[in-house]
Amino acid sequence: MTTPSKFDLPQGTLDLLILRVVALGPVHGYAIAQRIQLISKEALQVQQGSLYPALHRLENKKLLAAEWAQTESGREAKFYKLTAMGRTQLKSETESWARLTEVVGMFLQHPQGDPS
Amino acid sequence: MSWLMRLIRTRAMEKELDKELRFHFESQVRDKIEAGMDPSEARRIARLEFGGHEQVKEQCRESRGTLWLASTAQDLRFGARILAKSPGFAFTAILVLALGIGVNTLAFSLYNLVALQFIPVRDAGTLVNIERRSPENITPGIPYASIAFYRDNAKSLSAVMAVMAGAPVTLDQDGQRVNPSFVSANFFSELGSSAAAGRLFDVTREDSPASPPVVVLSNRFWQRRFNSDSSIIGKTVYLAGKPATIVGVTSPEFAGLGSDHPDIWLPIEQHSYFVEGSKPLSDSKFEGLIVMRGRLARGVTPHAAEQELLALTNRLRKLYPTVIWDNEYIVVTPGAHFFPLQLGGEGLGGGAAIVALCGLLVLLILGVACANLGGLLLARGAARRHEIQTRLDLGASRLRVFRQLFTETLLLAALGALAALPFSYLALRLILVSTDAPVWMSAAPDWRVLIFTSAMTFIAALFFGLLPTLRMVRHRSGSDLGQRFVVSVQVAASCVLLVLASLLVRATLHTLYSDPGFGYEQVVAIHPSLNEHGYSPATANRYFAQLQERLSSLPGVSSVSVALNPPLVNENVMITSIDVDGHRVLIYPNWVGSEFFKTMGIPLLRGRFLLPNEAHAVVLSESLALKRWPHEDPIGKQWKDSQDIVVGVVGNTRAQELNNTDATEIYYAAMSTADNLPSMTVLVKSSSTPESLFPQIKAVANSIDPKLYPTITTLKAGFRKNVRQVEQIAAIISLLGALALFLAVVGLLGLVAYAVTRRTKEIAIRLAIGAGHAQIIASVLRRFAWPVLFGLIAGVAMTAALSQIIRRGLYGVSGLDPISYFGAIGLLVVILLVAAVLPIQRAFKLDVASILLHSD
Repeated sequence: MTTPSKFDLPQGTLDLLILRVVALGPVHGYAIAQRIQLISKEALQVQQGSLYPALHRLENKKLLAAEWAQTESGREAKFYKLTAMGRTQLKSETESWARLTEVVGMFLQHPQGDPS
Repeated sequence: MSWLMRLIRTRAMEKELDKELRFHFESQVRDKIEAGMDPSEARRIARLEFGGHEQVKEQCRESRGTLWLASTAQDLRFGARILAKSPGFAFTAILVLALGIGVNTLAFSLYNLVALQFIPVRDAGTLVNIERRSPENITPGIPYASIAFYRDNAKSLSAVMAVMAGAPVTLDQDGQRVNPSFVSANFFSELGSSAAAGRLFDVTREDSPASPPVVVLSNRFWQRRFNSDSSIIGKTVYLAGKPATIVGVTSPEFAGLGSDHPDIWLPIEQHSYFVEGSKPLSDSKFEGLIVMRGRLARGVTPHAAEQELLALTNRLRKLYPTVIWDNEYIVVTPGAHFFPLQLGGEGLGGGAAIVALCGLLVLLILGVACANLGGLLLARGAARRHEIQTRLDLGASRLRVFRQLFTETLLLAALGALAALPFSYLALRLILVSTDAPVWMSAAPDWRVLIFTSAMTFIAALFFGLLPTLRMVRHRSGSDLGQRFVVSVQVAASCVLLVLASLLVRATLHTLYSDPGFGYEQVVAIHPSLNEHGYSPATANRYFAQLQERLSSLPGVSSVSVALNPPLVNENVMITSIDVDGHRVLIYPNWVGSEFFKTMGIPLLRGRFLLPNEAHAVVLSESLALKRWPHEDPIGKQWKDSQDIVVGVVGNTRAQELNNTDATEIYYAAMSTADNLPSMTVLVKSSSTPESLFPQIKAVANSIDPKLYPTITTLKAGFRKNVRQVEQIAAIISLLGALALFLAVVGLLGLVAYAVTRRTKEIAIRLAIGAGHAQIIASVLRRFAWPVLFGLIAGVAMTAALSQIIRRGLYGVSGLDPISYFGAIGLLVVILLVAAVLPIQRAFKLDVASILLHSD
């Protein structure tokens, strides 16, 4: 089902994306899925179901907190928001992600990975 | 929220999870419809985008961290339902496991009782046995002089006790004698025991030979003899004619030192008073057996105590050069166990080998039980293939299905263990009651037993459940290698147990009905315990000369002799050894009078018998002569590097170890000046019934020295006592063998029945086209022929190896006795054949036409 232009998420990056989206304010699962797709300009193929185990895991690790609230359309939905711990985690993961991409990028641009 | 809270809230959380996912899905569909998609198409696409609803839920539960608990509960419920659905299988499986685990629990409980549990004494951890050893000698006893020296000088011991079992003595005018134990005055206080009535020994009051003579009664003896009457405290009783005051009674739970259970206790300081003429405390050559117990000082290890005691022994040697052996050393072992197992011991003390053997035998039973169940589960696995496939197709992960199936297995094992515990408890109760065990021994499992049982249960589950479960999940079909393996294991283990059982039964019969190499039926042993009554070699010599002369003049007496170690009735076995080509041979030595061989009916094979008082001469048993000089004439050879010359070879006897056909003996002449003369026993051969001589023997003994109360027994009685032990062991092993056979039969019945059910259609077709019954039976059984054969070969090989242990450690059975092997294998094969043919026979009774019509 994956079309060639879309790619699967590397291991562990889904958590980072979720934390990033939730950082913008309390939001329910469906909205998180929408936003991930929107922000990544539909380039990422996230099977929407796989979002939930990740959400529950983050909640379990106390990086996210959840409560039930009404949506604009008046339905009950489970809203997630960042905890203090989640905020710290997002910060440190964002930094390490940036460093990683920088290093990998440098390495890949270097002709043949020649150390000189 | 803690995981416990989450677990409690499971139901609510399930609802929330469902609601959350539904909200997502419905929002997704709504958006697609708003974007102009057809409603049914919108649902289809949304479902594709979302993924499997149930899988997502399962993953969510897993990330919540309670899945394992929730799903285990679910698996257990499911497993229980599956078992309830096939009660026949469940019953068989639980029965088989209960027997397998139960036998192991029982064996371990017994081991735990005698060797691991502490006897109920104060501060059991620091109580130690102290024994002396040398490369040539093993004895539990220590001369009192050494004990006193260690008591006064050892800093590693905070207390030292001395205990000596005395010969039975008369009490007042009672016909039956009582067994006394002479103990140091600190015995009761060191063991932390209390009195049920009166008081026990007091270190300040019973500290010298001059203290007023006192006696403490054991609770059982008090009940039996005095009907638990407290008014007897302070009364005077006559022990061997000597007055003594009863000062107290031990409490019912007093365990003593474990395996000793005398009727009365007397202060060892007063030994010379009760046993007239004895000097156990001052005479360094006293022959009685005094054992030493001690308490380790705070923080001292047994090893450190051994080091200190060894140094003290070397100082002692200067004081008593004749008493301390060459290279003597001291062994300190934990002392608060009922039966201290000396692991790594030799000869009679080869406890480790026996324990290992028993352990192996009961493990074999468990092995048969597991193989058996494994077979049943494999068969069931094939039958449940459809169910498992369905679950895998519905999206369950293999791991999840495996876990579910293995939970079922564990549930089965746990049920088996639950059934095993009462079984083991009852059996143990029965054993304790029938052996008149001390009251403190309880059949109720303690923590060690429970841990052991749980571990065994888990191991059993791994053994019988892992292979079938893996095969079910991996969904291998076709090959029935697993089944064949299972059959082999069952047959091999049953084979080992059956052959061992028949070897032991044959050994018992052999002991019972074959010639032990000497005539015991007509012989009476008279043990006057001169050594305990202060006789010197010279006075003992006079006593024996008189006694022998008077006895031989009695009508009905055909011969009389002295011997240091009378066969069958002596309490302490002496062992010495010789190295032949670096191989150690254990020898039973004996010092005998010149008429000994005639009295015992031991034949002379070469040379001559010993002469009265002959120095520097030995007579060997044929077995010993053959071991020492396999190819030469032993007569005239020098024995070891002594001055002793071999003058004769006599027939082998199994005098000291009835069931050891390999026993070797060496005989020295009893010397009229030897220190061991006062310890000797007189043997009398009667020409009529030996018991009829008792009154005359008593009269003669009394007329020579009325102070003595000789113990008079027939060798026949000793023989019966010996045989009873061998019989008991053979009975236990036979029971295990029968159990193994029963399990193997159940297993094979199940497997063949299953094989027949699976091939009912094939059998029906064969019958329809006219195949004979024999042909069909052969075709079904062919699959089992090789595994059975393989199992038999493996079983025989294992038994042959094991029987060497038994031979060395226990019974001296001929380890390769062909009758036992063929008998056991024959029995096994016949029973297996019957077990295999029965289910096939049933298939023949089926209606061929209806089978062919109705099978798909």
